[in-house]
Amino acid sequence: MASTAPIRVERPLAAEEAARGDYYALLAHLFSRPPDSALLASLAAAPALPEGARVDIAVAWRDLVAAAGAVDELAAGDEYDALFGGVGKSPLSIYAGAYAGATAVEHARVRIQRDLAAAGLAHQAPTEPEDHFAALFDAMRVLAAGGAGRVPAPLGEQRRFFESHVKPAAPKFFARLATEPRANFYRRVAALGQAFVVLESESFSLD
Amino acid sequence: MKTKRIQDRRKFLLAAGLGGAGAAVLVAGVKAKDGPASGSVEAAAGPDGYRATEHILKYYKTTQV
Repeated sequence: MASTAPIRVERPLAAEEAARGDYYALLAHLFSRPPDSALLASLAAAPALPEGARVDIAVAWRDLVAAAGAVDELAAGDEYDALFGGVGKSPLSIYAGAYAGATAVEHARVRIQRDLAAAGLAHQAPTEPEDHFAALFDAMRVLAAGGAGRVPAPLGEQRRFFESHVKPAAPKFFARLATEPRANFYRRVAALGQAFVVLESESFSLD
Repeated sequence: MKTKRIQDRRKFLLAAGLGGAGAAVLVAGVKAKDGPASGSVEAAAGPDGYRATEHILKYYKTTQV
């Protein structure tokens, strides 16, 4: 009897799920490194959200597009270093553990490692801890839209990761970043991130 | 019931502008399916779906009470 190989059927990703993946990709990119001139130029040329879109996210997107047209690569890089890196203590942490209430018994990084492993994912930047927001948003990107050799995760799995690791920390981080005096371009990134996380939170509650 | 919940969620996201927002974000040069945006997450290679690096093992030790 001839053996038969299983057939893998990949359903095309719905537009709104692809868009979620794109938002996570953009946030992961902007928190992993400052935008270069090419990204700033394409952001500056991006169209507004469609008529009737939710106001908070539409305004945040419009402001980010405007800011991308006003800042240059050098200024954005200096701002990123001043906020998240550079020499000396950063004014605010870019790690979820600082906002999610890390404990001596089980730090947020340990929980993230465990949940990434359960999702078949592994952190690939050993010089950066797993609770770096870029890594968390990148994990959500893969879970929502697929990538890294896997298909999108079921919504329940996405929701569990989001509610365990993103929701407890990202809103506090975005709120801090939005009021940080040294933030300018990144204040707009924070506003978009905040609006998007609220949207995600509400959409998961419908599942 | 589950189908209705999925439809409600889809309607909610589309009404929020996410269907069209995807195109807007794509124009920005970052696309979800293109690969890791930050290079930080990849499918695990181990048979159990987990790759424990030396860094991870060291870190686990620091968390033991």
